[in-house]
Order: sequence, then structure tokens, then C-alpha cells
Amino acid sequence: MTSRTKSLIGFGVVAVVLNLVPTVVESLDAPSFYVTFMFTAFFWISQSVSWNILTGYTGYFSFGQGAWFGIGVYTTGILAAKHGWPFLLALPVAGVLAGLGGLLLGMIVFRLRKQSGEIFALTTLAVAFVLASVARLYSFIDGGRGIFMTGTPLPAFLGDFRTAMFRMTFVVAFLTLLTAFLLYESRIGWGMFAIRDDEPVAHGLGVPVFRYKMLALGTNAFFGGLMGGVWSLQIGFVTVEDVFNIRVPLFVILMSVLGGLRHWMGPAFGAVIIYALTDRLNSAGLEDLNQVIIGGLLIILVLAVREGIYLRLRARWKPALAVFVLAIGVWTVFDLGSSLIWDFFYASLLTVAVALVPLKRQPDTAASPASEAMAASDRSPP
Amino acid sequence: MSSLTGTGIAKHFGGIKALDGVDIVITEGEILGLVGPNGSGKSTLINVLSGYYRADAGRTVFDGDDLLRLGPHEIAAAGLARTFQIPRPFRTMTARENVALSYMFGQRRHSLAQARQAADQWLEFTDLANVGELPIDQLTLHQLKFLELARALATEPKLLLLDEVLAGLNPTEVEESIGMIQRIHAQGVTLVIVEHLVRVVTALSTSLIVLNQGRVIAHGDPEVVMQEPEVVRAYLGSRWEHA
Repeated sequence: MTSRTKSLIGFGVVAVVLNLVPTVVESLDAPSFYVTFMFTAFFWISQSVSWNILTGYTGYFSFGQGAWFGIGVYTTGILAAKHGWPFLLALPVAGVLAGLGGLLLGMIVFRLRKQSGEIFALTTLAVAFVLASVARLYSFIDGGRGIFMTGTPLPAFLGDFRTAMFRMTFVVAFLTLLTAFLLYESRIGWGMFAIRDDEPVAHGLGVPVFRYKMLALGTNAFFGGLMGGVWSLQIGFVTVEDVFNIRVPLFVILMSVLGGLRHWMGPAFGAVIIYALTDRLNSAGLEDLNQVIIGGLLIILVLAVREGIYLRLRARWKPALAVFVLAIGVWTVFDLGSSLIWDFFYASLLTVAVALVPLKRQPDTAASPASEAMAASDRSPP
Repeated sequence: MSSLTGTGIAKHFGGIKALDGVDIVITEGEILGLVGPNGSGKSTLINVLSGYYRADAGRTVFDGDDLLRLGPHEIAAAGLARTFQIPRPFRTMTARENVALSYMFGQRRHSLAQARQAADQWLEFTDLANVGELPIDQLTLHQLKFLELARALATEPKLLLLDEVLAGLNPTEVEESIGMIQRIHAQGVTLVIVEHLVRVVTALSTSLIVLNQGRVIAHGDPEVVMQEPEVVRAYLGSRWEHA
């Protein structure tokens, strides 16, 4: 069995297990904020993993996540809340419109004679500003009045509001991760990595760079918009200020950089950690310190663990797992935490700390013994 | 039988005419040496033929395609590959992955699984089998230059443009590289080599083109061409013409 098949089976198992969570939580009579916690995490996972398909894979740094998210939010807002479309019909339109927005941007910036990362980054930043002004100006979108989502009917089979949110965010996050994984393990994904490393060389070796950049940007925008479409429900009252602000692009960048841009899983990992951290800090009443702590943590981690904590922890999975299990055990036995979610949180923090422990220098490739290159090389990779 | 015919190829940068109407014929199966003083347009010609620069004028027919109208990836698909003077490997990949990538794209498309298997043959051909799994920054310059070759060969080219493969190497490495170039040629690949070491080019190539100030000033048998007065003048200045 190839590793790819194994991973796909893993995807299936995770899908089945997670799909049961709302039911289990309900039957256990556990606090329903577990469900909210998880579906918010799914939101961030989908946003950062889709961002990474563009920025991590092809190397084009984007501040545009807020734009794709915003297109999605407003699409379901307008279609479902204002025009009474069935929500599940409006949802795919949200993804498609955002995806088309991404492709349109790509048609413009990727066709420029003089291309550069800076121009791309600034253009993506500008897109959200333009969209915000357009939404504010035209009353068929928003016109400064906002859109109430609270009365939007959802199909009965999705369950109550929380369960419905869980199921929808879960499906979108799952599809985003699956897409990221399939790309990562394919010819197309490798073409994208080659673009990230050296675009002209990749082009000369036969990589159709324009097509792949369009594909990356379109995929990123599609999933950003699809999840945005779901998220309009959670926002409840959609306003331009809440949607087109710097929060989504900024957090997505933080999460991805922390988790690591070099692996499809990295941003998902970073998303869970940063979201869990903000959530716990807020619930501990430390909203004001929130940004200070997260900013500080990010600086430390980015400087110390350049490849991102996902790859670092995977390389040290034995100590990481041991620390996690031990921590959960100690917290549970001595009853140090106030709830399961706090236990989990402390254990995760300690596990992340494993990534920070500087390791004594090892030969990087113990597997290849007689290599003259290693003898000749006095450099060792960071 | 000609493999590539270029006529009137022109490329200017601002007011400088790097290529000023170059006509070039590359015959199938030959090793064509491309020489000329610094700034004569050798590298520009390579860059234009491989699609790295867009020509301002001219026409290049390669197996029926006009290369100057194609993008770099289409040129690769048509069977033309190049190397860079300063190696430009994909730095987040291992040597093996670099080669696998170019096999996946290149002239024909292959899946990732196929490419991972196939990469070995070019690593072995270029003596890089033992460093295939190493990160790029652990390779020496010599190995990086061979990786450029391995990666170009993995695209399965009919015509390969080699830009200063020997530059920066010590004498032993130069000897090894010359052997490598001959082995590549023996595989049936038509080669164009750009080189500063005139002695080496003259010995290696089956024909020679001399460029000066963006124009072809001589084309023919290497030994004969290097004796031509205009070539001597271009290299040494007119004072030595009758020396």
C-alpha cells in the first residue's frame, strides 16, 4: 500500500470520527461550546490551508484571503438572506464567485510583463479594499446597512444551528485539506513547488507556470469563499467592517507561518494552535493581552523553528507524543485543569514546547553513509 | 539534416543590441561550439532560444515549430533543454527530486510515482547517485553543475544548450565534465556548448560559431574558423591580425 493510499484511508477515518462529534457531545451532555470550538477551528483550518495552496505551494505571498472570504460571506448573505435562496444552493455560488474573483485577479497580475512578489502581494491587499468600498456603495450588496443572517432557514437534516455549522464547516475544511493533500502528492503540486523555488527555471523545464499559478490562486479563492459562505451564518449580522478587515488575512498568515508553509498539514496545525490559544486567553479574560502573547509566541517560534512546528514535531514525534500523553495524564490524575478543554490546551502547549528544545547537532542524513559530499561540506543546514 | 534553423534573431536591451540579426543552423547530432568575446551575445542567444528572453525579431524553426512564438514550457515540450552557468537547483528539493521534477514535465508528462522511479537513471548517469537524497546545500559546485545536466537530460531533450558548464571548475573536474559532455553526445543528443575555454571548445565541437557584438562572424570547422582574420581580430584586436 502506498503512503498516499494510507493517507487517503486516514482521511476517511478522520471524516467518519469527526462527523460523530456533535452527536456524541450531545449524548454525553457535554457543554456545547466544544462544538463551537471545533467548528471555529475548522473555519481557520480551511482558510489557512487554502491560503497555503497559493502562498506555500507557489510562493506568491497573498494578503487577499479577506477578499475571498468576504466575497463568500456576501454571496450567501445576499442570495440566502436577501433573496431567499435555499442556503445550500447559495453556498456553492459563494465558492464559485470567489474562485472567479481569484482567476480574474490572476488574469491581470500573472499576465504582467514585469512580475514580482511585491506587486502581487500589494495587489491582493488592494482587492479587499476595493471590494469593501464597492460593498459599502451599492445597496444591492450592503450599502452600509448590513445584512441580517439570523433568520436564514437551514435544512432540517443538518440538525440544530451548532450541529449544522459543525457539519458544513467540517465538510469544507475536509475538502480543503483533501485538495491540499492531493496537490501535494501530485505532479501539479510539484510543479507549484518548483515555481516557488525558481519560477523561470521551472518554466524552462516544462512547467506551465501561468496555468499552475492560476490554479493555485483559483483554488485558494474558491475554498476561502466557500468557507466564507458558511461563515456568514456565524457572523449573524454581516457588515463591511466586520468582513473586509485585516483579521482574516493576518490570522491566516500567522497560522500558516507558525505551522509551516512547506507541508500541506502545517497551516492546519498552526490554525488549531493559534485559534485554541486565542480562545483560551479570551475565556480566561485576557482579551487585552491576547495579541501581545500571540505576537510574542509567534516571534519566538518563527525564529526558533523556521520550517514550522508541524515538520519539527513530526521529526520528533516520539518525544512530542510522550509529552502530550504524560501531560494529559498528570492533569487528569491530579485534576489540575478546570475542564477537558483546558487539560487539552495545556498538554498541547507543552507539546509545542518540544519543538523549541534545541537539539544537539546530528548528521542530517544518517541513512546515506559514504558520501564524499558530506565530508567535503563543512556547512550544515539550519 | 538540420535540427534548428534561426534567421534574423534580434534582441536589444535598451539601446544595446545584444543580438543583431543572428542566423544560426544547428545540425542534428553535432556538437556546436558557441564562442566569442565577453558581451558578444552567446548567453543572450541561449536565453532567446530557450524562451528565457523574448526575441524582438527573427524566426527559429525547430522540428517545424517557431520557437520564438512559444513559451519556455512549450519549448521544453518541443525537446529543447538548457543548463545555467550558475546552477539554479530547486533548493527545497533533494537532488533526486530536482531530477524527478524535470522528468514529470519536460518533453513528455509523467506521473509523480513514475518520476520518483525514473530519476535514478540520470543520477547514475551523472555520478550523483550517492548524493541523490541530500539537501541541495550540501552539494559541491561540481555536483551542482552535474545536477544541472541531470535535470536537463531528464526532460529527454533532442537539443541541449550548455551554458558554461566548465566555468569555475578545477582541472580535474574540467576533465570529468568533458567526458560527461561526450557521453551525453553519445546518447544521441544534439549539443550547443557555450564556453570561455576556447581550447576546450575547439577540441570538443564538431563545428563552431563565433559571435562578436551580437553578430555571427564565422561558422564552420573549428580549426579553420579560429584561424580566420576576423575571428583573430575579434579576440585579440586588429594589432595581432598579421602576427
